[in-house]
Amino acid sequence: MKNNIWNILKKELREMFRDKKSLSMMLIIPILIPLLVLGMSALFESQMNRPVEDYNRIGFAYDMSDVEEAIAKETGIEVITGSLDELAKQYEEGNLNLYVEKDGNRYIMHGADNEDTTYALTLADSYFSSYKEYLQQEYLVENDVDPDSVIQIITTEKQIEVEESFFASYVTNYAFLFIIMAITVSATYPATDTTAGEKERGTLETLLTFPIRSRDIIIGKFLSVSLSSIITGIISFLLAIISFLIAEKTFTIYEGVSLMPSVISLVFASVVIVAYSFLISGLCIAIASRSKTFKEAQSALTPLTFISFFPGMIAFMIEIKTNALLSLVPFLNYTLLFTDITNGSVNYFYIFLMLLSTFVVIATVLFIIIKQYKSEKVLFSN
Amino acid sequence: MLKVKDLKKKFVRYNAKREKEEFFADNGITFQANDGEIVGILGPNGAGKTTLLRMIAGILTPTEGEIQFDGLSLEKNEVAIKKQIAYLSGNTKIYQSLSTYELLKMCGEFYDVPKETIDLRIHMLATELNLTDFLYQRIENLSTGQTQRVNIARCLIHDPKYYILDEATSGLDIISSQIILDFIKKERDRGKTILYSTHYMEEAENICNNVIMINKGVIIQEGTPEEIRKKTKTTNLRDAFFALIGGVSDEK
Repeated sequence: MKNNIWNILKKELREMFRDKKSLSMMLIIPILIPLLVLGMSALFESQMNRPVEDYNRIGFAYDMSDVEEAIAKETGIEVITGSLDELAKQYEEGNLNLYVEKDGNRYIMHGADNEDTTYALTLADSYFSSYKEYLQQEYLVENDVDPDSVIQIITTEKQIEVEESFFASYVTNYAFLFIIMAITVSATYPATDTTAGEKERGTLETLLTFPIRSRDIIIGKFLSVSLSSIITGIISFLLAIISFLIAEKTFTIYEGVSLMPSVISLVFASVVIVAYSFLISGLCIAIASRSKTFKEAQSALTPLTFISFFPGMIAFMIEIKTNALLSLVPFLNYTLLFTDITNGSVNYFYIFLMLLSTFVVIATVLFIIIKQYKSEKVLFSN
Repeated sequence: MLKVKDLKKKFVRYNAKREKEEFFADNGITFQANDGEIVGILGPNGAGKTTLLRMIAGILTPTEGEIQFDGLSLEKNEVAIKKQIAYLSGNTKIYQSLSTYELLKMCGEFYDVPKETIDLRIHMLATELNLTDFLYQRIENLSTGQTQRVNIARCLIHDPKYYILDEATSGLDIISSQIILDFIKKERDRGKTILYSTHYMEEAENICNNVIMINKGVIIQEGTPEEIRKKTKTTNLRDAFFALIGGVSDEK
C-alpha cells in the first residue's frame, strides 16, 4: 500500500513540476504578497503623513474677528474670506477644501463627500471646538466665574499601551488572507489536472488497469496536491515575513510596533497554513473529480476560491472574537486563529479544535472521494 | 485459464423522451480462454465488447456473474490478478510528459517488478521493440507508431500471463497494426492467453484460435473460425456474422 501511494505521489509530482501552469500557480502567486504588504504600507503612510497644506484651505463667508482668525491659524487653517457665492465657485474650481457659512449662531459647513473635504472637516471641527471653548471662557469671566473650575471639572489622561497599531493589524491580517487565497489557487490547478484532466486525457483508464486500490490512488493524488499547496503556503509566508521586516524598517507608521511575530507564533502560524493546505486540497479533489472535463472542474471550483476568502475577511472586518465553537468552523477558524497568533495570544485548546475539525473534514472528504472513485458514473464520463 | 460465467453489465441511459431506462451492455456472457490461446471477441460497434473486456480487466464492476483467473475470483483477488494482466485498447492513453524510460519504470514499479530487474527489462524491451532511439524522449514528441510501440512495451514490462486487447489496431496504419499483430502471435507462442476484440473480421480470422461473436450484449456464436464457417455454411467470418444476425438490416 505504502509503495503504491509513493509511486502515485512520484508520478503526480513529476507531472506537476513539468507542467508550466502548475508551477506558475505554485510559485508566481506568492510573489504578489510583498507587493500587497509594501503597497498597503506605502498607501497608509502617504495618508497618515499627508501635509496639512493639502487640505487646509477653508473659506469663511463672514467677517472673522481677530480672535477667530488667530484660533484658525493656530489650528493650521489657511483662512480665505469672501461671499458665499464666491466661496462656492472657488470650491467648485478646487481652490478650497471646505467653506463655512454663518447664520446667527449656526455655522454651516459646505462641501462634497471627498477625501480632501473629509480631512478639512477634521480641521474645521478642531477649530470650532477651540473657538467654542474660548467663548465659554469669555462668558464665565464676564459672569465672575473662574473658568478653570467649570471647564476643567474633569480631566482625562491617555495611558494606552501600543502593542499593535491599526495599520500593523490590517496589513498582517490581509497578508494572511492573501496567503489563504494563494494556497487555494495553488491547490485548484493540480487538483483539476490530476482528476478531471486525467479523465479528459484518457490516462485514468490506464491508471485503473494497474494493480492499485482506488484508496491508494486517491491518497497519492491528495498528498501531491497538498504538497503543492503547502509549498505555496510556505513560500507565501516566508515572503510575507520578509515583507514585514522591510515594511517595519521603511515606514514610520510602524514606529514602536513589531510586525514580526514571535517564534512560537511563527510555528503556530505554520501549523495553521499546513492544516489549511490539507483541507483545501481534499475539497478541491472531491469537487474536481466529479467533473468530466478540465473546464467543467475549473468552473465548479471557482466558488471555492471565494468561500475560502470571504468568511475570514468578514470575521476580520467585523472583529469577530475566537471561541471554541468558531474554532471548529472550517475557513473561519484559520483566519481567527491566525489573527490571535499574530496578536501574540496563542490558545492551545482552540488550535487543537481547529486541527480536530480539519482532520474530520479531510477524513470525510477522502472517504467520499474513495467512494467516488469506485463509481463508474464518476470515472467514465461517457 | 480464464473463465467468465454469466457476466452481465447494466447501464442507465436516457431515451428520446428524457426518461431513464436501464439496459444490459452485456447480458449473460459465458466463455473460457485457455493458456496459449488467442480468443477473438468479434462484433459490431456497440455490441458490448469494450464493456466485457473492461470488466475482465477489472476496470468496470460486473452487475452479475463471475470472472476467474486460474481459479481465483477477480472480485476477491483484484490486486493480485491485475499483476498478471496487461490491458491495451485503441483508446489507451499514456502520460505525455514522461519519457519512455520513465513510463516503463513507473509501470514496472506499479506491477511490483523487482527493482534490480526493472532496468534490465526496460533495455531488453527497448531493443526488442526498437525503442532505443527515443527511450529518453518525452512521449509527447513521439509519432503515433512509436507511441503504440511504447504502449506495447508498457504491457510487457511485467511479463503478464493475460493480455486483454480491445480494438488495439483501430485507427493505426498497416505498419503499426502489423507490429501489434506480430506481438500478439509471439506472446501466444510463449503460452500467454490473449483476448482480442476487433470489428475487423479478417484480422481475427488470421490470428485467433477461437472466436466469440457478440451482438447486442449476447454471444451469438463461438468456436474456431473453421467451426463457425462450417456451422453458418459461409466462407469467411464476415459472412458468417451477417448470416447469424439475419443480414445487414438487423444491424441498422
